Amino acid sequence: MGQNQAAHASSDDVSGEEEFDPIGTLTLIGIYFVILLLAWVYIYYIEFLGRDLVVVG
Amino acid sequence: MHIHAYEKLWLAASILLILLLIGSVTYGAVGPGVAMVSDSEQPIDAQGLDEDERFSEPRVEQVGDNEYAAYVVAYQFGFTPDPIVVPENSTVTFYVTSRDVIHGFEVVGTNANTMVVPGEVSEITVEVDGSKEYGLICNEYCGAGHHVMEGNVNVVSQEEFENRNSGGDDA
Repeated sequence: MGQNQAAHASSDDVSGEEEFDPIGTLTLIGIYFVILLLAWVYIYYIEFLGRDLVVVG
Repeated sequence: MHIHAYEKLWLAASILLILLLIGSVTYGAVGPGVAMVSDSEQPIDAQGLDEDERFSEPRVEQVGDNEYAAYVVAYQFGFTPDPIVVPENSTVTFYVTSRDVIHGFEVVGTNANTMVVPGEVSEITVEVDGSKEYGLICNEYCGAGHHVMEGNVNVVSQEEFENRNSGGDDA
């Protein structure tokens, strides 16, 4: 009976997987992504390139 | 293979991030011209700096139109010349060597930062802007007096630079 249910569930997967909707994870990764972008822009363009005596050779 | 729509999304985002990182480093090299410390200098005899034409008399000299070369010797525990005086709005190439142990050459708060190895000449070229006094420190532990090893890099006006140089010649 249990196996039947499992088999039944997996045969539904094709439609069921799209219903798996980890919106919280997506949001979290989105926030991390934005933090990473801002941190990179700040570190490279503002802190590094904005400093004096840029080494050119 | 079935890939979830969200997974496609963050795969794309991570590829975008990689391209962005590579892109900004490329921009840095092409736009502002950020470069690495050069390794093109020939080795020299660290014990024979007294006879070396560049380092027997550490100094700043004009080598081209608005281009200056600063020959600097690092030693336990200081830098010579001190202060290193360069004119504003110019291109300065530092040639730094050590006569004893490994030192660091870091113009404080700037990107001018290199290791100084006895027998080698570290070459870094920088663009200097307006008049300003920078600190200069050793950032490689070099012995008991490492913490007091410091110097100055003074960016002065063109006039003051010439005055100092002609004053130096007279004396």
